[in-house]
Parts: sequence; C-alpha cells; structure tokens
Amino acid sequence: MKNILYNVKRNSFILISALAIGGLASCSEDFLDVEPEGVGVGEDFFRTPAHARLAINAVYGNMREWNVIAFAHLAITTITSDNAAKGSVPGDAGFLDEYDNITYTATEGTLNGYWNGQYQGINLTNQVLSNVPDIDMDANEKARILAEAKFFRAYYYFNLVRTFGGVPIRLSVPAPGEQEDPATLNVPRASKEEVYAQIVEDLSESAEVLPATYDAANQGRVTKGAALGMLAKVQLYQKNWQQVIDLANQVQGLGYDLVEDYRSNFRIAGEHNVESIFEIEALTVPGTCGASNIQWAEVQGVRGQFGWGFVEPTQDLVDAFEEGDERLEATILFRGETTPEGDVINADAPNPRYNEKAYVPSYVTQDCGYGRDQNVRILRFAEVLLMRAEAENELGMTDQALEDLNRVRTRAGLDPIESATQEELRQIIWHERRVELALENGDRFFDLVRQGRAAEVLQAQGKQFKEGVNEVFPIPQQQIILSGGTLTQNPGY
Amino acid sequence: MNKIFLLFIMCLLTVHGALAQNTISVQGKVTDASTGQPLIGAGVVVQGTSTGTQTDVNGSYTINAPADGTLVVSYLGYTDKQVPVNNQTTVDVQLESDAEALQEVVVTGYGTQEKRDVTGSIASVKSEELVKQASQNPVSSLQGKVAGVTITNSGAPGASPQIRIRGAGSAVGGTDPLYVVDGTFVDDLSFLNPADIESIEILKDASSAAIYGIRAANGVVLVTTKRGRSGEATVNYNGFVGVQRVTNQLEMANAQEYTTLVNEKLLLENPDATLIPTGLPSTDWYDQVLRTAMIHNHQISATGGTDNITYSLSAGYLNQEGIVEGNEYERITARLQTDVKVSEHVKVGYNGIFYNYKSEDVPGDIFYQAYVAPPIIPVFKANGNYGDPVDYPVGNFANPQASLDWFNQKSNGQRLTGNVFGEVNFLNDFTFRTSLGLDYGINEYRNYVSQDSLTTVQRSPVSRLTKQRSKSTLWLWENTVTYDKTFGDHDLTVLLGTSAQEKKRNSLAGSVNDVDYNSEADLYLDLGDLETYNISEDGDRGTVASYFGRVNYDYLDRYLLTATLRYDASSNFPRGERWEYFPSVGLGWRVTEESFMQNQSIFDNLKLRASWGRLGNDQIPRNIYRSQVNRPDRFAAFYGGVPYSGASYTATPAYTLFWEIVEEVDLGAEMGFLNNRLTVEADWYNKQTKDAIFSLTPLGFLGLSGSLQGNYASFRNRGLEFIANWTDDVSDNFSYNIGFNLSRNTNEVTDIESENAALYNGNLPLGGYQISITRVGDPIGSFYGYEVAGIFQTEQEIEGSPQPAAKPGDFRYRDLNGDGVITDLDKTIIGNPNPGFIYGINTGFTFGNFDFKLDIQGVADVDIYNGNRNVRYGNENYDKDFFDNRWNGPGTSNSYPSAKLTGRNLDPSDYYVESGAYVRIRNLQLGYNLPESVVNTLKMRNLRVYVNAQNPVTWFNYNGFSPEVGGPPVSQGIDRNVYPLSATYNFGVNATF
Repeated sequence: MKNILYNVKRNSFILISALAIGGLASCSEDFLDVEPEGVGVGEDFFRTPAHARLAINAVYGNMREWNVIAFAHLAITTITSDNAAKGSVPGDAGFLDEYDNITYTATEGTLNGYWNGQYQGINLTNQVLSNVPDIDMDANEKARILAEAKFFRAYYYFNLVRTFGGVPIRLSVPAPGEQEDPATLNVPRASKEEVYAQIVEDLSESAEVLPATYDAANQGRVTKGAALGMLAKVQLYQKNWQQVIDLANQVQGLGYDLVEDYRSNFRIAGEHNVESIFEIEALTVPGTCGASNIQWAEVQGVRGQFGWGFVEPTQDLVDAFEEGDERLEATILFRGETTPEGDVINADAPNPRYNEKAYVPSYVTQDCGYGRDQNVRILRFAEVLLMRAEAENELGMTDQALEDLNRVRTRAGLDPIESATQEELRQIIWHERRVELALENGDRFFDLVRQGRAAEVLQAQGKQFKEGVNEVFPIPQQQIILSGGTLTQNPGY
Repeated sequence: MNKIFLLFIMCLLTVHGALAQNTISVQGKVTDASTGQPLIGAGVVVQGTSTGTQTDVNGSYTINAPADGTLVVSYLGYTDKQVPVNNQTTVDVQLESDAEALQEVVVTGYGTQEKRDVTGSIASVKSEELVKQASQNPVSSLQGKVAGVTITNSGAPGASPQIRIRGAGSAVGGTDPLYVVDGTFVDDLSFLNPADIESIEILKDASSAAIYGIRAANGVVLVTTKRGRSGEATVNYNGFVGVQRVTNQLEMANAQEYTTLVNEKLLLENPDATLIPTGLPSTDWYDQVLRTAMIHNHQISATGGTDNITYSLSAGYLNQEGIVEGNEYERITARLQTDVKVSEHVKVGYNGIFYNYKSEDVPGDIFYQAYVAPPIIPVFKANGNYGDPVDYPVGNFANPQASLDWFNQKSNGQRLTGNVFGEVNFLNDFTFRTSLGLDYGINEYRNYVSQDSLTTVQRSPVSRLTKQRSKSTLWLWENTVTYDKTFGDHDLTVLLGTSAQEKKRNSLAGSVNDVDYNSEADLYLDLGDLETYNISEDGDRGTVASYFGRVNYDYLDRYLLTATLRYDASSNFPRGERWEYFPSVGLGWRVTEESFMQNQSIFDNLKLRASWGRLGNDQIPRNIYRSQVNRPDRFAAFYGGVPYSGASYTATPAYTLFWEIVEEVDLGAEMGFLNNRLTVEADWYNKQTKDAIFSLTPLGFLGLSGSLQGNYASFRNRGLEFIANWTDDVSDNFSYNIGFNLSRNTNEVTDIESENAALYNGNLPLGGYQISITRVGDPIGSFYGYEVAGIFQTEQEIEGSPQPAAKPGDFRYRDLNGDGVITDLDKTIIGNPNPGFIYGINTGFTFGNFDFKLDIQGVADVDIYNGNRNVRYGNENYDKDFFDNRWNGPGTSNSYPSAKLTGRNLDPSDYYVESGAYVRIRNLQLGYNLPESVVNTLKMRNLRVYVNAQNPVTWFNYNGFSPEVGGPPVSQGIDRNVYPLSATYNFGVNATF
C-alpha cells in the first residue's frame, strides 16, 4: 500500500511537472503582452519633430471632412439663406428641407454632425497645442506649427459661436496614455463673449507668428494675412469697427490685390492668386482617393451630369445682380448653358440653376470623383475691402468706404457709386457683399443675422424664421442628453 | 508531409498483410435480440486478429475467418458477444441491448460522456443526419435540427451561415460560437465537407461550455470528423448532381405599372410636370440576372485499419454555380487521418484537412441593382449597346446586365487544418494527452475594372487592378491528464489541462491604374502607372493561455455532478485584468433509477438536471484599451500640390477593460416514455451577459471621431427549449420517426452604464437615417422610428396637423409626445429583429428498401425592416405589391402611401417593418437501397440512390426576396437586398465498396 501510494505520488509529481512544462508558455505574462499590429500606440507619439508635422497635417486634412465642409456646412450657412434652396431632387436628403424652411429642431441629425465636426477639428488642434511644446525641435518651426493650430482652433470656434452662440470651450487634451481629469470631460457652455475672446486671442497670437508668404513647396499653409483677415471678420461680427479697419489695412499691406477676372478666382488655375487669402486645399491623389475626400463641389455639382445637385441658387439671388454685373454668370450655372470651358449643362437637369463657384470643367480628372481638385475659397481680398468699407461707413468715413466699395464694383463691370447717405451706403455695401460672395464661403445667413435683418429678409422668402429664436441654431439634442443636462438649450427650441 | 505520406503507405501495407491467412468465408446477419431489427454498422472482428468488417444496411456481413476462430460482434449500446465459428459458413448473431446504456455517446470537449450522464444541455447531430441532406456547409445542415440554435443562411455559394446559440449575447463583440474541429479551434466550418463529419455537438449551456472558458460565451460547436476503425477497408462514394432555382422571386412593377407610378409621383410633386412616355417594352431585371444553376458534388472516402493502426481518408469536389449569372464556386477538400497504437499504453495520431476554393464573383449589390432598375430600360438597345438610363428621363441607374458583364473578380483560398496528438496511459487509470493543433489559411482576390463606357453611369476613365492576399495562422497546444476510476458505487473522472494559443492574421492589398489586360498573366501590380499605386496592410495578433479542470462524479448511477473551472488569460486585455476564473457546476438526478420509481410504468427514463456556469467572451474589438495613433488618408494635408500624411492619437480609450462575462442558469428534464419510443427533453435557461463591450457615443465636445468602447452594457437572453421525438419500428419492413423542436428566446438590454444612452445603428445609405437602437429595456438592435397613424387623404386633413408640409398621400405619423410637431422625440420602438420562436419538424420512415425524410423548419415572432423599399433617391422601381396597394386618391388606401416616396415619407417608420416569420420545407429526400442481389453483382456492399429537394418551398408574407436577413446584433434584420436562398433539386448516389 505504501508502495502504491509512493508510486502515485511520484507519478503525480511527474504529471504535474509535465503539465507545468506545458503550461510554461502559458503562464508567462510576456506571452500575453501583444503589441497592437500595424498601428502605432499613443505613448510613442509626439516624441519627434516628424510627429509634430503629422499632427498639424491632420489639422489641415480635417478641413475637408464631410461634417465640416459638405452637407452640414452648406445646410446651415447657405440653404437657410435667401441665396439658395435645397436643390437636387425631392427624394434625396429630404431633411435638408428643414434648413430651407427653417423648421429644424434640436434633434435634426445634420446639426449634430456639424457640432461634432467642429469639435473634432478642435481636438486635432488641441493635440498639437498640448503636445508640441514639449517636443525638442527647431524653435521657428515649432512656433509656426503652434500658430497654425491656433488659427484653425479659432476658425472652428468662430463657426460654433456663429451657429450656436456660446459653446463649451476645450483648450487642451491629455497627453497620450494619460487619463483625463473627469472634471474637464463635461463642461457647461461658455458665454458668447468668452468664446469670442478666445477666438481673438488665438488669432492675434497666430498672426504674430505666421509668415506672410511661403515658398512654393509650402503653398497652402495658413498665412499671417489669413489670420489677420479672419480676425477682421471676427471683429466685424462684434462691431469693433476701428479694429476691422486696422486689421484690413494690415492685410492690404501684405500685398493682396483684386484680380482682373472675377470668375478666375473659382477655377483651379486661379488657386492662390494675388486675391486669395485662405483656401481649403483639395487635390486628386489617384492612388489614395481617401485623401481626396472633399465633397463640397460634388454635392453641388449638376445633378445627373457632375454631382448631386444640392444648393440650388434662388431666383431672388439671380434678381439681386444688377444689370451688367459680370458676377452673375460667374456665380450661377444655368441649365442648358455652355460654359466658357465648353461644357454643355444638361437642358433637362432637375434644377434650373447650380452653383458655378463649385463647377469643375469635365476635362479635370475625376479619378477620385467629381470636384476633388476644387479648393474652397474661404477668404479673398475683395471681402477684406468690403469689410473695411462696412466699418468705415459705420464710423462715418464715407469717402474711404466708397473707395473700397467701388474697387469691388468696378472689377465686376459696374459703375461706381458716387455718393450715398450712411444708411443708403450700409444697404449698398450689404448688397454688394451678397453678390460678391454669394454661394462661396457660407457667410450669408450669418451676415443677415449680424445685420439684424434675418427675420425680415428670410420671412419675405417664405421661410418660417422666428425672430428672437432662429438667430442661433438649437444645441443638438443628443449633446444635451449626453451631457446629462450640463449643456442648456437655446431659447425657443 | 513526406513522412506523413510514408506512414500512410505503411498502414495500407499493414492492412493487406493481415489478409494472408488460411480461412473460410463466413456470412451472417446481426440483429437486435428483442426486436429482431437488423443492426447496421455493427463491428465483426476475428478475435485476436485485425480482420474485421461492419454490417451493411441489412445487418449482413461477410468475413474471412479461421474455421476454428471466434467472432467478436459489437455495437454501440449493446453488449459485445463472442461467437465461435465452428466451421459454419453462416453465423447469425443476436445482440442484447445494454440496458444501462441509453445508446448515445456525446462529445463534451476534452472527452466523451454517455448521454445519460450529461448534466448540461448538449445537442448532438450525427453523420446520418448530415449526409441525408445535400448541404454544402455543415452549419447550414443544422438549421431546424437543434433547439435554441438560430441559423441564417445566405444563398451566395461558399458563404458561411450566421449562427446564434440562445440569442445574441454581445452588442459589438463577436456572437459566433467557438468551433472546435477535432480539438483545433477555428472560426468557421466552410472548409469542411459535411460527409467527413462523424458528429456535431453543440454545447448550449454554460456548464457544458465552461471548459472552453473565454471562448465559450456564444456557445461551442464541437465537430468530430470520421476516424478509421479496425477492420476490412471500406470505400464510400457519395455524390449528387442537381439544379438550383430561386424561389419566391419578388415581383416588381412592370414597365406599364412603373410609368403609372412615376407619373403619379411627378404629378403629385408638380401638377404641370412633364410626364414620362408610356407604352415602353418591359424588362424584368430579376429574370435577366437570375438563372437555373447547376451543382454537383462528389466525395470518395476510405476507412479501415488493424488493431494497431487505423486510417481514414477522403477527397471531395464541389462545383456550384450561383443563381446569378456568372457566379461560380469550386471547392476541393481532402482529409487524411491515422491513429497508431505504438504500444499498449501509447497512442499517437494526426488528422489533416486541406481545403481549396476558387470562385468567380458577382457585384455585391447586384440584387439591389436589379431591384431598383427601371423596367423601361431595355437590356440592350437596337444597336446592340447596353440600355442606357440617359435615354429615359428617370435618373441614373446602373444597367444590371452591364454590371454583371463588366464585373471581373476572382477569389481563391487554401487552408490546412489539423492536429497531431500523443496519448500515454499510465497507472491504469491515468491518461496523458498532448495535442498540437494548427490552422493555416490564405485567401486571395483580384478585381479588374476595365477602362470602359458601358452606359452613361457605368464607365471608368481608367482601368484599375486591385489585389488582396490575407494569411492567417493559428497554433494551439493543449495538454491534459485524465483520471478515470470506479470505486464501488462511485464513478469518478478528473481532467486537468493547460492550453496555449497564438493567432495571427495579416492582409496586404494593393491597387494600381492602367495595367494592360490581355490575359490573366498580365494582372501584376507592378505593370501599372506608378503614380497611382496604393497599398494597405492590416494585421492582428493575439495569444491566449489557460488552465482548466473538470470533475465528473456519479453515485449509484443516479446522482450526477459535473464541475469545471477554467483560468484564462487573453492578450486582448491589459495586464492586471487579463486573468479570470470561469467556474461551472452541473447536477443531474436520474429519477428512474430510484427504487421508488421501479413500480411505475409511465417513465422509462426521467432525468432532471440543473446547471450554472460563467463564461467569457474575448471576441472584442482589438486594442481598444490602448491609445492608438491613427493615420487615415483623410488626414493628409496638401502643400504645394503634394500630399503629406497626417496623424492623431485617440485621447480617450477605454483604459479599464475586462471580459464580457456570461452567466447562465439552465434547468432541464429528459424523459422517455412507451419503451423509450417517445423521448422528451425540455430546458429553461437564463443567460446574462454582463460587462458587455458597448459603444457609447462620446460628448461631441471631446472631439473624438467614432465611439467610446468599454464594458458598458448588460443583456439578458431567456428562453425555453422543447424537443420531442417519436421512433417506432412497426415491423421488420417499416419504421418511422417524428421529431419536433421548439425554442423561445427573449432578449433584453438590462443595463447601459451611461444614463439615457442608446446605441444607434443600422444605417441606411440615405443621409443620416438610422433604423436600430440598443437601449435599456428593449431587445438589442430594436427598430426605431415613427408609428404611422394612416395616410393623409385630403388637404383638409393636413391643415392644422403636426405635419403642415405634408401632401395628400403622405404618411400621417403619430405625435407621441403631443407637442404638435413630428420630431425625433416622437420615435419609438417599431419592431424586434431578434427571433422569438424557432422550430423544426424532422420526420422520416423506412419501408422495405425505401427511405423517406422530410424536414420542416421555421421562425416566428420576428421583424424585418424592409430597407429595399425605404432606400429611394428618385425613380427606383417599385414592387408589385406596392403598385397594387398604393394610395392614388382620397379613400384608396390608409396604409400604403402615394408613389411620391420622398422626403418625410422615407423617415424610418413601422410601414417598413414587416413580419419575418416563415415556414420552410428544408429537406425532402426519398432513397432506395438496391436489393442485395444487384449490389452483390456490382461487387458492392451497399448502393443507395436518392432524390432530394432542399428548400423547395418557403412560406412567408414579407415583401422581399427572402426572410433570412441576419446581420450583426446592433443592426440586424435590415434587408438591403440579400442574396436569397435557392431551392436545390438533386439526384444522388451513396455507394459502399
């Protein structure tokens, strides 16, 4: 018995050893530490100058995002306005009718997309601003990258404040691998003034650092002119007239000028001309169409011929152009017309008119889709002149205002305005702003609100604009729910 | 490989060597001593030799044996019998049924157990069931056969069906069960020929599955392939030829109906609209792209062996055309298995399965294209060009025939799966087994888009070649020790084991423009335009380590206990969170063994069982606990017209992450009545998934793209399963059986961490429409939308309604919150895509040489979202049902809208939710065994011919092609033009030599 027990014991020992040997591979924690395949880990990021460049590149790339520059942008800024209707065919994207009619509510999904799109851009700028300062790299390049990021952060907050009023402000992100303080994960809305103050601070700091021009290899980066010009616009919204004038003067001092041919501003050959101050870069990259993701032109392209046919210019916009205004033909693509580039627009296209500023001739490559080479012009010198004219008129500097205004008018083939009262001139400048910038960068709705006449103008268009409510859009319901009520709704929604 | 082959040759030689003896030929019949029924497949072996055979379908055998030798006859569930030959040439043998055995042995994972001793819920499907239907995928053959197992088939050749065991227990993690083929863990069974399978066991409850720990949360499917048996070599041929046809073809509007609808729509939109011309010839696009397709399948196998070496090998070939023109699938399978008894105590063996497929593919959206293409577009114009939508003022549609002709994609893949094992028996009661499993697979496809202009919308200015190659490897090393001992009334089996596994996957894809294509040999990526190169690569690696143990104990054959414990770790989890215990316990009570039951005559068998277990799921999205660096193409910046990559990191990953845990309670009863001719089995289960990985939408303010994933949710699947079988051998010539199974499952999300949070999913390609919601209190992936209260008949009804912009003929939605406007706040649950009931009826009889089999299968209490009807951009075709029932003037319909299906009429609503219930004749087979005289003349042992119809009839009310839709849990049941299942009619042969 003892013997058998011994045997059992001995064999058990052998057995356990065998199992343990078998288990050796399995009991080692190293065996179970598996690095993610084919993807970098956050802790290894933001160590080198190359990482800083990758991060700022992403900030530029994000400007082409669907939520930033396509449907949501066009719906909020343009389809709501008197310049354009929804367009396309009734069955496609019916929810855009809510913008056309100004009947959207807080649950409309595109609104939430716009909100998210702006904050995603802000997140990318914050990644740069929170991490690049610690990278050991060339001081000039570092400063420039930080200034570029600040410009874009301000750009996104400006979109948010114009659209929603005060919004929550986020200015930093945790470093890779660090957990965020729960207190900063959900913050209430800042006031409109606080948001504007942040925008002014970012743009001012950015303008101090950014260069006025770049070499050809860096064309497309944001410049000092862009920061000053955007800041002028931000001050215009706050009616800080003298600052608008000062900033416009600084921009002018950088050498910008009007080009002779208005229409050339919107062709590929006219990218980065002497009039252009800031553009969103678009490019067909034949092997990597994922980088050619901008759809601003495609969604507005002639339906059935080029694109989806959204943003149909209104008859009211057509009528707004004075007799002989060369800009009409450059702004609106009529069904059945032949373009200077030789394209015949389908006579049976579903919409009578399309946005010609989003038109790309058919000979341009469509390897990644239509219009993937069409830069979006965000700021031109003509707008700077009109901003300055508006500010000058507000401060009673009529002659200077007329001079700036007439530079823009004469380029369009119109007679100069000789004289006008301050109120007349205000209306003239507002009108000039509409026809000069129509369907271009998404200012019309916000201009009407800023000018205090949104209700009057939009109600005349049959839109259900409610004064005291629709000047800002509702905070997306989903965000209010997710915040657990920390975010509050705008009045009237 | 060479060595394996040599070994195989050696065993063949050994078999033949054994035949060289001075013998007489003995024949006879083996029958059941009590019923006189022939026993098919009983083993007859000459004692002390390796000579052996098996009885045929008539219970007959023929064997060469020494005149003074002894035959040993054995059959599962019967007591072995030794019969001296005594110079007789005819030896009939009657076997006594082993009263103790309820004849069935089930595989339980790292062992086998007699069915009567099982304390959990295990379903077993044997090879006879599998071969008596002409399925190409083993999983597909299980449909309707197993209670609690929902199988959703796709009609695409080579496609794997979706399988769910006891409901969906995960939201974003995997819901596939673990497949174990002869001990090797695999992801699917598409590489297996059903004819190679001996049995499939499905471990449904947690206590049965717990031995597989973290892999087992979705249940376990154990596949045992056929192994050789000692005895004379047997060669089998199984083959069938058949045709496949689509059933329940969806009837679409014809040209006349279509123009009527489009013109109605145009007039509703604008009373002055220009109408489209009428009187155009009609194209039925489904008829155009569908065809009657051929299928043929052949498999040849051989098994045999001596006392020391047994082998089994097979080769199979399947050629299946898809029901869509141009779709073809070809599969070759081969299998080789050998077990060698090296000494009395040592056994080694291996098993290898090779699989090769190639296919000619069709565009994934061809059913969508055929659905939407206007019937007024001709296939070809008079000049021979493709019918072009540009000629008709209805919008841009692809010509489906042109799509098929243009599409040029081929796929192929190879896979080798197998294992090698060694087993040592020591100290009588201990067995040590070590096993190394391997699975190696390659999949490739190439796609060529030629530079062409077929129609205005089907054109490409450049050609593009895309190629992809993916590779996966897995190794699994497992070691177990089993101790098996009986002490008086106590039976004890103890199992201890370790397991380690590594799994790798890598996929490399490239594409380039302008490759000249004259022959297949030109399709090389480096022959393209260098400016247009694109490459992408993607990979994954994971490891798992485990320790496990199990105790099976029974006392007096009455009181049964199974207890398991597994200690598991997976590389998917961070250090500190990655090890977890998964315990389980199962209890059984065989009531009929009790003395107080001996005087009753109602129950022949009554067993009650209860089990509890805890399982894990590590099939979760990889690396979600790490902050990752993302470099998508869309982050590229352009400076000076040159692209530069951009990158960001995920700033808020789920830093704490652990297993999805499933806890399940199962209560069951097994009963036998009327001499065990009627058996009944019932189970109740409550399966709770805790800490399920769930995607939460983060606050937009954080600027994260995508969602936050972590252990945020809990679900519950609760249900009942009921199985009844009646088998009766009426006479020598006639026997029949009827089986019925029914399962009920209810699914509910019981908890989501963040208050008010819901996961929206089920995107329709229309801008921003999401159909599915997963939220507390409702089933996973419920349909979410408006309730339709009716149709606006007149302008007066619209005035003052919450939908001032509506037109007559539009949906009137219910203003659920009564705020006077229709907004998202009025949306509610409008349907449940989780099947409530599944059932199957399996019947058969044999009469003389004829056998007949009928399987019926169905699903009830389930909803489908008709995405086909919902996705409209303009003038897509309508189905005939819509034409017949639409609103076209006041009073014409209060449920179907007008043809103006635009704008808010396309909002998700219950109009698009339909019942997905169906009943199907799954399998119908009539077989005939040729008489022995004929078979003997042909030098065969057995020859059976049969005709078979698979899926010949399906009854359902859904307005789509097929009610089998499937999909991941959070977006399931949304029909977006699935590849429908077809009916297959076969003629087949089973021959044994």
